[in-house]
Amino acid sequence: MDTRYLIIVFNGLTQGALFFILGSGLTLAFGLMRVVNMSHGAFYLLGGYMGLSILRHTGSWTLALLGAGVLIAFLGLVLERGMLDRIRAGGDLSQTLLTIAISMIIADQALAIWGGHPVSIRAPAAISQPVSLFGFTYPGFRYVLMLAAALIALGLWFLLYRTRFGIAVRASVDDRETVSALGVRIGTIYSLMFMLSAFLSGIAGVLGGSYLQLSPGEDITILTYSLVVVIVGGLGSLMGALVSALILGQILSFSLAFAPEMSMFLVFAPMALMLAIRPQGLFGRRL
Amino acid sequence: MNAPAPRSPGAPGRWPGRILAAVVVLALAALPVYGDPYTLTTFIRAIYFGFVALSVALLLGQGGMISLAQTVFFGMAGYVIGLLGVERGFAFPIPEIAGLALVLLTAFLFALVLMRTHGLVFLMLTLALGQICWSFARQNTSLLHGWAGIRGIHPPAIPGLDLARHADFYWFSLALFGLALLAVWRLIESPFGLAINGIRENARRMSALGYPVFWQRVILFMIAAMLAGVGGILAAWSTGIVTPSTLHLNRMIWILLIVILGGARHFWGPVLGTVIAVWLDVAISQMTPRYITVIGVIFVLVILIAPNGILGVWSTWSARRKAARAQAETPQVQAPSQSFPTTSTSPSHQGHTRRKP
Amino acid sequence: MNYGKAGKAILSLAVAGILGMPGAGAAQGDTITIGMLSAFTGPFASFGQLQKEGAILALEQHDFKAAGKTIKMIYADDQLDNELAVTKAKQLVEQDKVDIITGLVSGDEGLSVGAYMKGKQIPVVPMYSASEDMTMREWYPFIVRPTWTGAQPMDVFGYWLAKEKGYKKIYMIGEDYSYPYNQAGGFKRGFMRGGGDEVKTVWHPVPTSDYSSLIASIPLDQGYDAVLYNGAGSDAVAFVKQYVEFGMHKKLPLLGQSNTFERPDLDAMPSDIAGSYSAHLTADDMDTPHWNAFRDAFQKRWGYAPTAASEFAYGSMLLILRAIEARKGDVDDKEALVKAMHEVDMSDEPRGPIKLDQFNAAIENVYIREVAAGKDGAMYNKGIFTVKGVSQFGPYDSKLYMSQPADGRDSPPDSRARMPETILKVDKDYAFVPFGQ
Repeated sequence: MDTRYLIIVFNGLTQGALFFILGSGLTLAFGLMRVVNMSHGAFYLLGGYMGLSILRHTGSWTLALLGAGVLIAFLGLVLERGMLDRIRAGGDLSQTLLTIAISMIIADQALAIWGGHPVSIRAPAAISQPVSLFGFTYPGFRYVLMLAAALIALGLWFLLYRTRFGIAVRASVDDRETVSALGVRIGTIYSLMFMLSAFLSGIAGVLGGSYLQLSPGEDITILTYSLVVVIVGGLGSLMGALVSALILGQILSFSLAFAPEMSMFLVFAPMALMLAIRPQGLFGRRL
Repeated sequence: MNAPAPRSPGAPGRWPGRILAAVVVLALAALPVYGDPYTLTTFIRAIYFGFVALSVALLLGQGGMISLAQTVFFGMAGYVIGLLGVERGFAFPIPEIAGLALVLLTAFLFALVLMRTHGLVFLMLTLALGQICWSFARQNTSLLHGWAGIRGIHPPAIPGLDLARHADFYWFSLALFGLALLAVWRLIESPFGLAINGIRENARRMSALGYPVFWQRVILFMIAAMLAGVGGILAAWSTGIVTPSTLHLNRMIWILLIVILGGARHFWGPVLGTVIAVWLDVAISQMTPRYITVIGVIFVLVILIAPNGILGVWSTWSARRKAARAQAETPQVQAPSQSFPTTSTSPSHQGHTRRKP
Repeated sequence: MNYGKAGKAILSLAVAGILGMPGAGAAQGDTITIGMLSAFTGPFASFGQLQKEGAILALEQHDFKAAGKTIKMIYADDQLDNELAVTKAKQLVEQDKVDIITGLVSGDEGLSVGAYMKGKQIPVVPMYSASEDMTMREWYPFIVRPTWTGAQPMDVFGYWLAKEKGYKKIYMIGEDYSYPYNQAGGFKRGFMRGGGDEVKTVWHPVPTSDYSSLIASIPLDQGYDAVLYNGAGSDAVAFVKQYVEFGMHKKLPLLGQSNTFERPDLDAMPSDIAGSYSAHLTADDMDTPHWNAFRDAFQKRWGYAPTAASEFAYGSMLLILRAIEARKGDVDDKEALVKAMHEVDMSDEPRGPIKLDQFNAAIENVYIREVAAGKDGAMYNKGIFTVKGVSQFGPYDSKLYMSQPADGRDSPPDSRARMPETILKVDKDYAFVPFGQ
């Protein structure tokens, strides 16, 4: 096969990996809490910037990665407990609007703190070497990203299907009242899930900032891509996020190679189509 | 949202309200006399954004739907004027009529798909449609010139008015907006408006009663789009330029939030919200470079504390006062003349404030 | 009483009353107000920052005074959004009653503001905005641009690459909007005049983060001599990084547009690109008394070395101040002020002497640079050749130049065969002197 096409496919896989990490948290939070966190992109951006600062101060990329995740998870907790909880009675639309306002604030503060210049995070040389596999040279970090996504997918599957927490989450999605009546603390589950979602977007920020770069405005781009992934895959479905992330990654990669002017249209169109024809997405539940 | 409640005949205090209203109208009309050019510009800006706010509020307050696509119609009208008027030399009113026609057609096509959904899915779909249109405007260079957009748009010469004159443009916009408000009020009071209200409360019941729910919602969407389109025409005339950022999500979110700020369920809500927001925008941006943070914080507070907006808070307060006064005056407990909005906070879930005949 | 209605009434009356008060900032007797319209927040905030720093340096050197009058600066942020730019321009003109408008970063922003300002009789001095039509097809006498156009340095660059390096075919990947079109246009004209055959242009949407597929599509077997990246900012940083990651820099040399390798973006790029060429109105290692004085003052004031954007702002502000002084502080006669601007002696401009042509556009030096590693390991743009006295029309007659269609996505043509003869041949072309002479 012409290596050119192979490279484009692999680029799609790389993109898909990042999209999955972003989409998985968003979709799980929705499935459980019926809130679409429109600050997801801002979390990504802030996580990336925080990772950058950690890297600058400690010199450790691993610390930057995990630190960013933890800090954003904490931010998610504050947001969820402090605000979303208060307006939960008002319905999902209020929460969606609130997260929009929060994202504006986060993005502006990030601009104030880290400035407007684009920055990129230097991944450790050990995992950034060009790798020769399948007949072409490819940046090693991209393989690392794919591996990370695969591990996260496995980890989330394990969490959802093999742990008590996961059972509680899935049961709460099905029937909130009964689960609560059985003595499970729904509030805690909500918070933990939201924190997990935030953690994932935080580390996605560091990963994305390492192989691409971070700059103001990136939050909106990332949010819209995440929404496409989640809607096409189905709100609440992990499998859906995986499949649609892979598909979307390929669409983006091929359109950027052959019809860059159409790339945005080709990314949004499946979302519009899906919502019109099958609003629950590929694998989602009837909304 | 609801029409301003008429008072029952014989109730005290009719004339002070009317005099005040007359003074306001007079003050606004006389603005070009005592205000400086920048004030006029700010009010004109408030007016054309007010059209879009009205459009959003109609869908939200009356129809219970949050649409993130209204700026599409706002920008579309401007682009058509640019393409036909500036680039191909068609004179008023051809580009303007063509613009509104395209807006109506697009709204119709969108609505055919949109009105099969509701709630969060509706919101996402309008987001997707809005983004598709925006990215088309951004990336299409052969027709729409991409990032650069179209510039050199001038207000036309209408018989009797020279719209290039600042004051004339202001009066024209003000009059147009007044007409729009009047039209919206009649709409809300009409059988159609009542039906839409009913659909918002319980679409299934309305359908069972024989109302053509789907088509009524489509028509509502088209009317709202038309309002946004008219605003877009004024905006294009006023700034002389239309670019993809006219359709951008940021602009749309700002407008949605100012509608909520004013009070989505109240007739004057979008107007109030727009005036305050445009003024805030100018004032804050001159005070600090972090005005996006300030605006974001204000909106967080609104959503948390006063999700019915400023007029929502006002009407709750005034209804309580009235109830307290009524209780003090008569021994029996009387029902208040206005029902309280419920404490539920989502605009689409709050109680219906019904006016009494 | 209907409180809702009354509430709205009272509030809007109050608002109207407050806003109705006369605006601040009418030009008082001994104050001159200058409005600076730029991107101070948003994704392009770095440009606004650089401009502000350059301008303030010039102002501080004059104690914020000219001809005894105080200079009052008003900064208006437009986030590089064209509609907001027009709105803020209105504010500057109608509310703040500025005497001069300056700033302006992007080509489209400049054209939009320029279109609005027509007929307002206020001088407009764009500091970085490079859309050539501001001083060509859409010019009017109140526009004074002592900086550049998009095509100006690229025409020189293209000519040099064809004539001196013998390149015949270039593969160009660029950002899809007007400024890169202008840069490509100038480049194509110069390149084909110098003997080049083809400049293939591929446009990508702004912004793009992942260039891997675009890079994978670059043909390696069709005889291209180099790849030219026609973009700047975060797009450029991403492209260059990925270009190196895929090992392309070993297969095809990388060239940049004027802004591609500008600092601070250059600092984020891998050092493997040392040796890459570009062309601009400045070079980081200029060593003239005027440049050194400016560079040292800037470094001292702001803590880092100046870039082209900072120097342009500095020089433009200097021109404004000198014009005011030539008019002895009288800014009410705007036509005379513009005339004074035209006649200011800017032979001591830090980046090289400039003169203004009949469209108030700069005739100046263009430098060919290559990316090099400094002693401290940081990369910089090292000057290698200079061309003096370059006009915005290049070596062409102004009427001939403006009779061509404006540079766009598909014009001028990609190949020599479709380029008009009048563009391919001129009487007198550039003379290159080694940098520093």
